[in-house]
Amino acid sequence: MKQKNSIFTSTLHCIIAGFCSGFFFNIIMIFTIMLISDRLGADTLEENLDDDLLNKQIAEVRPEKAKQGTLLFKTINNLTHDYTLAPSLDTDVHIQIRGMIARTTVKQTFHNNSADWQEGIYVFPLPENAAVDHLRMHIGDRIIEGQIKEKQQARREYQQAKIEGKRASLVEQERPNIFTTSVANIGPDEDIIIEITYQQPVRYQNETFSLRFPMVVAPRYIPGKTVVTGFEGTGWSLNTDQVADASRITPPVLNPVQDLENEAEHRTINPVSLRIDLDAGFLLSNIDSPYHPIDIGIPDKTRYSIQLQHSQVPANRDFVLDWKAEPGNAPRAALFTEEKDADIYSMIMLLPPASETSPVLHREVIFVVDTSGSMSGPSIVQAKQALKLALNRLKPGDRFNIIQFNSYTDKLFRFPQAISHHALRQAHLYVDSLEAQGGTEMAPALSAALLKQGNKSGANNNNDGRNYDVRQVIFLTDGSIGNEDALFNIIQSQLGDSRLFTIGIGSAPNSHFMNRAAKFGRGTYTYIGNISEIQTKMETLFSKLESPVLTNIHIQWPEDCAKNNCVVESYPHNIPDLYLGEPLLISTKSDSLPESLTITGEIAGETWSAALKLKGGQKDSGIPAIWARKRIAALMDKMRQNQNSEGDEVEQLRNGIIKTALSHHLVSKYTSLVAVDVTPARLKEALVKSHALPVNLPEGWDHKKVFAQLPATATNASLAFFNGLLMLLAGLLLLLTRKHVFNV
Amino acid sequence: MSSTFKKISLKVLLIVLPLCGMWQIGSASYIHAKAILAQVLLETAWDKTVHGQQEVKPWPWADTWPISRLDVPGLGIDRIVLAGASGSSLAFGPGHLFGSSLPGQQGNTVIAGHRDTHFRFLKDIQRGELIQLQSLTGKMIQYKVSETIIVDEKQTEYLANTSENTLTLITCYPFDAIRPGGPLRYLVIAKQHKPDIST
Repeated sequence: MKQKNSIFTSTLHCIIAGFCSGFFFNIIMIFTIMLISDRLGADTLEENLDDDLLNKQIAEVRPEKAKQGTLLFKTINNLTHDYTLAPSLDTDVHIQIRGMIARTTVKQTFHNNSADWQEGIYVFPLPENAAVDHLRMHIGDRIIEGQIKEKQQARREYQQAKIEGKRASLVEQERPNIFTTSVANIGPDEDIIIEITYQQPVRYQNETFSLRFPMVVAPRYIPGKTVVTGFEGTGWSLNTDQVADASRITPPVLNPVQDLENEAEHRTINPVSLRIDLDAGFLLSNIDSPYHPIDIGIPDKTRYSIQLQHSQVPANRDFVLDWKAEPGNAPRAALFTEEKDADIYSMIMLLPPASETSPVLHREVIFVVDTSGSMSGPSIVQAKQALKLALNRLKPGDRFNIIQFNSYTDKLFRFPQAISHHALRQAHLYVDSLEAQGGTEMAPALSAALLKQGNKSGANNNNDGRNYDVRQVIFLTDGSIGNEDALFNIIQSQLGDSRLFTIGIGSAPNSHFMNRAAKFGRGTYTYIGNISEIQTKMETLFSKLESPVLTNIHIQWPEDCAKNNCVVESYPHNIPDLYLGEPLLISTKSDSLPESLTITGEIAGETWSAALKLKGGQKDSGIPAIWARKRIAALMDKMRQNQNSEGDEVEQLRNGIIKTALSHHLVSKYTSLVAVDVTPARLKEALVKSHALPVNLPEGWDHKKVFAQLPATATNASLAFFNGLLMLLAGLLLLLTRKHVFNV
Repeated sequence: MSSTFKKISLKVLLIVLPLCGMWQIGSASYIHAKAILAQVLLETAWDKTVHGQQEVKPWPWADTWPISRLDVPGLGIDRIVLAGASGSSLAFGPGHLFGSSLPGQQGNTVIAGHRDTHFRFLKDIQRGELIQLQSLTGKMIQYKVSETIIVDEKQTEYLANTSENTLTLITCYPFDAIRPGGPLRYLVIAKQHKPDIST
């Protein structure tokens, strides 16, 4: 009896002691952690007393109020119904490259697998500089040629045909890199093929030519408050005050992971086949497709034929092709011409020589990294690695800061910091801690990066009030936002003497944003699509950042040209600064081609000039379309800047765009291609059902992170408590039964 | 030989089992203690916020900050709401979902909280219950509970913006499940009751 009692009391003691020790141990742990953190904070202050005190605040939050925006909520996860009913789509792409011009034909086959008459609406990307000039609708053996019309007119004709039961198709531009194909009256079990053709100049950088074929419009973050206009388009987002056409640029997204009785199955749709005929005009040393395995046929002189190793790939990541000339054969200048309607159009390429002097520049580098939900997965890993490489590349005398943004903007230091072992260590810790979640409120982050707060504090300035030679903002993002124009306005109005360099991250970056943001930011753009590219791509960017820039570039047309009244209209109007390895690329239209032209500029404080004879040159097709596309882009820029101004100016610009687009048969924001069959196919009694075609989630994206899930909201307290009780009970049982079990 | 081995192993078990058990129970109480304690610390940070400071971090290394105060007068509930509904902020208080409307803004304000700590009271909430949210500027906004429902975690349509000003409170379901991580969620949906009252 006595013994039993003692067992009981000892167990009770044990329980109480254990509970207290467990609890207090935890409390002690917490205080230790607090103390250590405080110590760390104290270290920070002591180590850097000579610096501006304000700079020590790690992770100082800039008081930017979070703005309201739309996370990407509507998914077709729950609308499997709609997914199975919508027409399915196959895409076949044929790219012909001659010299520096690519002509691409995209064939979209809409299959109607249902017994109903259908309308299919597909939102898809094209290169941001694509000049779309042809639409053909194939119905069986018949081909109907598309006509270019003003947008509203084209829409009316399409709607009319749809009502009348005629097969019709419409290609509209939503953004320079987002287009919509609508096809009406696809009969039961019928296929309709929509053939779209576009031209584009090839990118030439650091002796490498490259071409990007985007495959999917990534889900975009839509900032702003919803405006109650309802759904105008077929997307998952409502229109907002900041993105008035949100419902047209957000196609429904298929959740790739389908939970089929707990066996997660990965599914993709919209298969793409792709082949390329490449004739660069010279022998190549290298052809590379970094994201898709390709087969390269035996070349015929300088012609190569290339196709995907897998006959079809899902439309969920951009296709890129890079090629290089044999050493010593890389072109330094090129001229392409084409005559059209008594005008001569040309595209001129000139690669300025690299400067021999390279002064040591003190740089202020502001890294801005997108940590929104769309960056989760491989993208954030790539961004972090790129950031770390860039941090290691900074030199004594440079200053830097890191800004991250998602729904909120957060800074590493309140003001840019001079390079020190300590500052770099903090930066590396900060980069390690980055996590991708939340929205993409880019505007406050852009403003924070472009605003030079270092100068306002006064304390950390040198005497001249400027403690750097160049100020560079390096912006890492996938650009998945819908309010591009507002962001471009911020860049243009707040740039000052900063330069903006965009790094497009991930499998389907927004090329329109990368390209234009860098243009308005007077910097350049780079893409990183997988881990293995980071090293080389960043190296190339570093060499650009550290080398002198060719600025103040002007073109002088010969005087005799002025006398002979040959009017030359060339684009771009204001020639951008050229970084190391970048060529000058201009498109011109004139009555007759001038014999030569002179280009002047400044590099590292010295004047540079080059004369170029405009004789011979390769006769090519597609040059007028490329010129017209550049003219439209220039007018669109002007329009964006004048959007709030009163009067005729906007109207004039709009008319200018429409006129250019109509005369060159180009799709633009205000013109669309429409093709209508003559004979009605559907009886009026039969209904036509309209479906938005779903698109894939870009490869590597995490559906949960983008389209949110209801958050998990249970602690493991109950579980821990339960486990604890179980163990105590087991211990007690053991104590009571030890004689029987162990015979001791 | 084997008898000494048995003795030793028995002793070890008799020490290890209760200790581990206590550790588990201690960590369970720690979760609750932290949840209660943090709310006290947050009080000061929220006061500063209402008085015009922005994104006041309650402790130096916090990665979240208070953005609203939630009151249910009928149940005597008073909680400081934090920015973001990640695990690290939910440990200290209910979290406001990034991207949903801020209290006082038009649309759907979504707040999530742990079912066993800050949002345990949701199971007692009835239709018609009054809920108050204080906005960053100190304004009080009143909501009236219109429905409570149980949904699957994938039903994200409840997060979508609404034209009517709505407050959506989310917690896990069932309330007394021992294991965390189940797929069900308990939603309290409240509609704005009155125009804003300034305080």
